[in-house]
Amino acid sequence: MIELRGVGKRFGDRVLFEGLDLDLVPGKTTVIMGRSGSGKSTLLRLINQLERHDTGTVRLSPIEIPAGLPHGEWVRQATALRRRTGMVFQGFQLFPHLCVLDNVTLAPRTVQGVARAVAEQKARALLELVGMGEAVDRFPARLSGGEAQRVAIARALATEPEVLLLDEPTSALDPASTASVVAVIQDLKQRGFTLAMVTHDPELGQSLADHLVELK
Amino acid sequence: MLRLLACLLFAAAAIAQLPLPQRYRDAGVLRWGSDAEGGAPFVFLDSAHPDRGEIGFEVDLAHELGRLLGIEMRRVQAPFGNLVQVLQRGDCDLAMNGLEPTQSRRSQVRFTRPYYIFQQQLSVGPGITGVRGLDDLDGKRVGVLGESQSHKLLLEHPGIETVVYESNVTAYEDVINGRTAGSLADLPIARALRPMFPQLVDVGEPFGEDYYCIAVRAGEADLQQALDAALGVLFGNGTLERIYRKWDLWVPAEARLGEDSIAQRFANDAVVGGAGDMDWGEALVMLGRGALRTMGISVVSFVLAVLLGLVVALVRLHGPRPLRWCAVAYVELLRGTPILVQMLLLYYGLGQIEGLRLDAVTAGILGLSLNYAAYEAEVYRGALSAIPRAQREAASALGLTTAQSLRFVIVPQALRLSLAPSTNDFIALFKDSSIVMVITVVELTKQYQMLANASGRFIVLGLVTSGLYLAMSLPLAYLARRFERRLDRDHA
Repeated sequence: MIELRGVGKRFGDRVLFEGLDLDLVPGKTTVIMGRSGSGKSTLLRLINQLERHDTGTVRLSPIEIPAGLPHGEWVRQATALRRRTGMVFQGFQLFPHLCVLDNVTLAPRTVQGVARAVAEQKARALLELVGMGEAVDRFPARLSGGEAQRVAIARALATEPEVLLLDEPTSALDPASTASVVAVIQDLKQRGFTLAMVTHDPELGQSLADHLVELK
Repeated sequence: MLRLLACLLFAAAAIAQLPLPQRYRDAGVLRWGSDAEGGAPFVFLDSAHPDRGEIGFEVDLAHELGRLLGIEMRRVQAPFGNLVQVLQRGDCDLAMNGLEPTQSRRSQVRFTRPYYIFQQQLSVGPGITGVRGLDDLDGKRVGVLGESQSHKLLLEHPGIETVVYESNVTAYEDVINGRTAGSLADLPIARALRPMFPQLVDVGEPFGEDYYCIAVRAGEADLQQALDAALGVLFGNGTLERIYRKWDLWVPAEARLGEDSIAQRFANDAVVGGAGDMDWGEALVMLGRGALRTMGISVVSFVLAVLLGLVVALVRLHGPRPLRWCAVAYVELLRGTPILVQMLLLYYGLGQIEGLRLDAVTAGILGLSLNYAAYEAEVYRGALSAIPRAQREAASALGLTTAQSLRFVIVPQALRLSLAPSTNDFIALFKDSSIVMVITVVELTKQYQMLANASGRFIVLGLVTSGLYLAMSLPLAYLARRFERRLDRDHA
């Protein structure tokens, strides 16, 4: 379980949040909401340390990252933490030079050292799960927004993370694509994945949240 | 008084006896072409007083000729290997620089009577033993000044690997450096340069006999006759001997300069025909071989430049701070200095240090790749910076380390972006590779120069050479464009 204890973050002299506690309970979906500029994306990115916090501690036992670690040590801990989390970005961020299948297998093969055949078999199953089983050979440039986001979800799940972080996963999508991506997220929730999602869509947030965090 | 008058009359008569074509009288100046690079004892800079202008026995001779002909002699600097062409182009009026009247030169320009008789001297490096002449050097490398009589003599020994230099100094330098076993040179040159290279050992007796003559354009028999007359006077009144003794060049053979058989030796060249015969088949094979060498050097150099350039760019963007500064310094240093200087430093400069003595092709490849790596580093730095930050975040979020995200995510995309500018650089390097000729590598351009100098066929050979370059660079550009289009189709 990821635990944030007394976490604070500021940009210059603007305090985004201070003394914040948050638990991402296994099997539950946490939704972070708030008006734009409230720091909800920053909070999510802090969970996998794409942003560093200024005070407090981020913990995914036995990894413990207090604020102010020396750079080298922080890089080691943050990398270890990221290997146990997955993330989906608003803008997908698929790797344009790799086909769909290679996008999904890259992390298992390079980070976890999984053999290509094994990684590909699992990637196909994941792509099947998000409804992209037919697209293994296509390149990202040939995908619609909804398709790309579903591939991005499969990619984030390929390393079997303990938590899946979703940063406004549907804000860049048209309604039809949004529906297809939401369906996948709902399916994951049903299957008992631990999710943390940032959204500015109250309806979507309410419908998915087991636990709702509102940032002021 | 009477005596003075007589003297003046005599002097006037002497001038009148030496007619100079009117066009030169009108111009008031005769421009003589020569090469001061490594030109001792002909024309060279006095290293003790480099600011005093050139000295040498030909400078003295030109001075005397000018005095006798009543005209200013103005020196024009031109590379020795191209003196004949510079003369033909009209950039000088005569060429006097230890030019031997070889068959191929005689077919292109007109020569005066000889002003010096010389022989060949073979010198070997300090560690070479048991050599008594050229016959003992089979299978060895021997250095020689390009387009010289010595060059021609060496080519008659096919067992010897001839290494061609732009100057006798660099030819001797490489004997000392151990890159060649020895060097063949005109005796006056060997003598004049001996103080610079005391380690060299002269072997065997001087051999062969050849002549230095002044060259004028083929159509200018009148100028040739004027110079012949002047040389005759200078020999007759002892001026030549005085000059040659001053430079320690007087050998008994010089006494024969006055003999008709020698004075008239090249007089029969009255009709100068077109260029000499050339075996086109052989010439094409030689150009083809030069082209292969150019291609080989370019490809290897560029592959190395790409690898090194990528490392420099990555270090500059992602390395620890002190290394970043080194990368910046590397790029600025190699971009900001001429590749010619880098090449000479690598080959002749490093060659003076034991253990850093690179052979010519290796030094050439190293020089080209070090230089182009600086340019490639800038191309890749731009391309790497152009990859969105979010791509690195996505890789980080998957747990890839910095090195892994560079290797699998960022660099492949950056290489795609740099394909077009990189192709451009490769084509530039491909043509720049001709610079390795200054360190004795005979590639396509040098081969062209040698064949054209020998035959005078600058246009046809030039077109063939250009064709060969295009035949190699055009397909390359085409392949790069096709590759780029294929990547675009998939990824863009």
